Amino acid sequence: MSAPQIPNLNTLRRGAGRGRLRGRGGGHEGPGSTSRGQKDRVVQGTDNDASVSRLSAVGLGYLEDSFARVLTPLGQETRRLPIINRGTYVRTTAIDKLVARFLGSTAESDSAWKQKKKQIISLGAGSDTRVFRLLQSDLTPNLVYHEIDFAVNNTAKIKAIRGTPILQRVLGHREDVTISDAGDALHSPIYHIHPIDLRTLAHQSESSANDEPVIRLQETVDTTLPTLILSECCLVYLSPDEAAGVVRYFTKTLFPPSGDTSETLGLVLYEPIRPDDAFGRTMVANLATRGIQLQTLHEYASLEAQRRRLRQQGFDAGQAAADVDFLWERWVNEDEKERVAGLEMLDEMEEWKLLAQHYCVAWGWREGCVRFDGWNDLEGQSSEG
Amino acid sequence: MSDLDRAIAQLRACRLIPEAQVRELCYKARELLIEEGNVVCVDAPVTICGDIHGQFHDLMELFRVGGDVPDTNYLFMGDFVDRGFYSLESFLLLLCLKVRYPDRITLIRGNHESRQITTVYGFYDECIRKYGSANVWRYCCEVFDYLALGALVLGASAELEPSGPSYNDTTQSTMSTTDDRELETEVLNSKGDVTMSTYRPRQGSSLDNGATSPTRDPAPLRTGAPGTGASSSGAGSYSSRTGAVLCVHGGLSPLIDTVDKIRLIDRKQEVPHEGAMCDLLWSDPDEIDGWGLSPRGAGFLFGADIVKQFNYKNDLSLIARAHQLVMEGYKEMFDGGIVTVWSAPNYCYRCGNVAAILELGEDTSSGGTVTRSNGDIGRSNGILTSATEKVPLRSPGRRYRVFEAAAQDTRGMPAKKPVADYFL
Repeated sequence: MSAPQIPNLNTLRRGAGRGRLRGRGGGHEGPGSTSRGQKDRVVQGTDNDASVSRLSAVGLGYLEDSFARVLTPLGQETRRLPIINRGTYVRTTAIDKLVARFLGSTAESDSAWKQKKKQIISLGAGSDTRVFRLLQSDLTPNLVYHEIDFAVNNTAKIKAIRGTPILQRVLGHREDVTISDAGDALHSPIYHIHPIDLRTLAHQSESSANDEPVIRLQETVDTTLPTLILSECCLVYLSPDEAAGVVRYFTKTLFPPSGDTSETLGLVLYEPIRPDDAFGRTMVANLATRGIQLQTLHEYASLEAQRRRLRQQGFDAGQAAADVDFLWERWVNEDEKERVAGLEMLDEMEEWKLLAQHYCVAWGWREGCVRFDGWNDLEGQSSEG
Repeated sequence: MSDLDRAIAQLRACRLIPEAQVRELCYKARELLIEEGNVVCVDAPVTICGDIHGQFHDLMELFRVGGDVPDTNYLFMGDFVDRGFYSLESFLLLLCLKVRYPDRITLIRGNHESRQITTVYGFYDECIRKYGSANVWRYCCEVFDYLALGALVLGASAELEPSGPSYNDTTQSTMSTTDDRELETEVLNSKGDVTMSTYRPRQGSSLDNGATSPTRDPAPLRTGAPGTGASSSGAGSYSSRTGAVLCVHGGLSPLIDTVDKIRLIDRKQEVPHEGAMCDLLWSDPDEIDGWGLSPRGAGFLFGADIVKQFNYKNDLSLIARAHQLVMEGYKEMFDGGIVTVWSAPNYCYRCGNVAAILELGEDTSSGGTVTRSNGDIGRSNGILTSATEKVPLRSPGRRYRVFEAAAQDTRGMPAKKPVADYFL
């Protein structure tokens, strides 16, 4: 039955077939042979991906975000596919919800908790707009926001802030804002941008204790405030040791647990999971051809592994996780689902489920002296779906 | 070598043909398709294929695994375009083959063969990028409007001939048992090795050779409506025969209870947002009772009871459809009453799935007199008994060939575009 005159393209496969496909001569080298600098540039470039996706979702009405346009590089605007837009929507709204609960800005928030000043530290924030959305909102008046990223990503963001009145307005008085000579650091009473390669935090104890930006981070972070750490697709690019080291820097060095005087410390992660099924293997291979290595993916491959990670890293008051498919099904109410489903025809239901089951949000917290119960009734996903 | 053969050769090499030639091709294809009914009758043997989605290199792999046109008789159940990087090359090649070998390849419409969907899912952009204007997109969309909505496969054999020397199931089947059971399904990998077989008891009625008679309807009551109870005049009792196989892209519609009703649709239009034509292209089977709302926002979900009733009423033994990604390439549901065939391996270069095609063999026991035509005149009648003397239909023997994506290195992926989108 087979037609011999048609060449069998599979015989041209190199290596062990499925799973490990490497780009050949396409400008990317395999990840093993890439220098650290090149690899970093690729990871820095992922921020661009995220901001373009956000703008696409905003442009089509999935999300409201008046800062998405000004924080996306000009000329980069493209319409993403409906499943990507929906994924961006679910990821953003789920993390928004966790953040709002942590900040006590929802109607049902406990009043003692609500009144406390809070702090957010966002890792690998890049062009993220969340800081502006929160600082602009009347619901979260008592907030200090820190962002940590590579200097090059900060430079782009700070340049955008300098050139954009609606961003400046959010930061308040001009004289309260200082920007470093290199344009990669920004400090104000409510907002700090730190030019730090997160890996230096992981290796803190050993070497770079006198690293200027790290010192500045330690000076500006208020360790007496309830603090939420955010990592949206950030720690996953580090090696498992470094990723754990970064978290340890916050849980042990900056916020050492000290009985009844310390405050609540929370961590929210957004990461890919399930690398070992057919979709996951293809994802790992495809990203590898772009030079992107998700280094902790196999370490934290399941929801259970993510919860264990949170527990082991000291977030002992509670840990939960859910994949994006679950979050869409259970966290988005029916009216909102109908609204979102009406924005674009989403034909690819099976593909959506596949994609959405390979990303998760995980959250855990350490109890402080004022009781935090804002995350108690958020539904996590118990078993592996 | 004719212009058409040259165009085929060029497209097989994944090189586009000039715009003027596309216009001419689309014009010829339209003339051909306009003659086809909404439900095309196709005689077995036939190889049924699901979604292609512009994955040109995988379409070449499909032809390698399933045999080339015109050696193999193909039925493609739509979704030729969108998502993949080579919708134009894939669709134009299939269209050339249709014009060149009209009786050896059947194309029916998928929900992506639509103006609205192609502007969202990539085909429109691809046309602009590769031809510099929307002209070719417009020509193709005009062809889409003429594609049939379904096909009826007639004369498929109930029993499969076991695949040749590579058949490796001998340890399990002794000589004595193979006589009283027949091969019902077989799954082969792309090398032709059998990876799975299922059997069913042989029916004694196969000895009843006196009943074999030409299946041509001696006096059609109405032309334009064969393949239904309405035009049947009862050609005798066929307890061993297989029912017809209905092929549609999506599935059933609450507005359609007979194949005849599909024939009444005015199909030459853009796919509507609702109604029978929309449902046929958008619906999905699901583990529910009756009908349900589709999460896709178009079409419906339908359960086992709906399929059972529809098959019974229309003398069908199987519905073959595409439309839904299945990781294993094919998926039978509802006691084999419906099957999903998916022919785009590693869909969107991202999903990691394998693909499949479904081969139905020819039933030679009735003399092989079934005629083959895509036109509406003088065609075989698939329905041989009247409603009062129904006997259980046997499902056709089904051979699935499963294949993987063509090697990525050979794709010539556009360098600028990321391989696939992820959340980063």
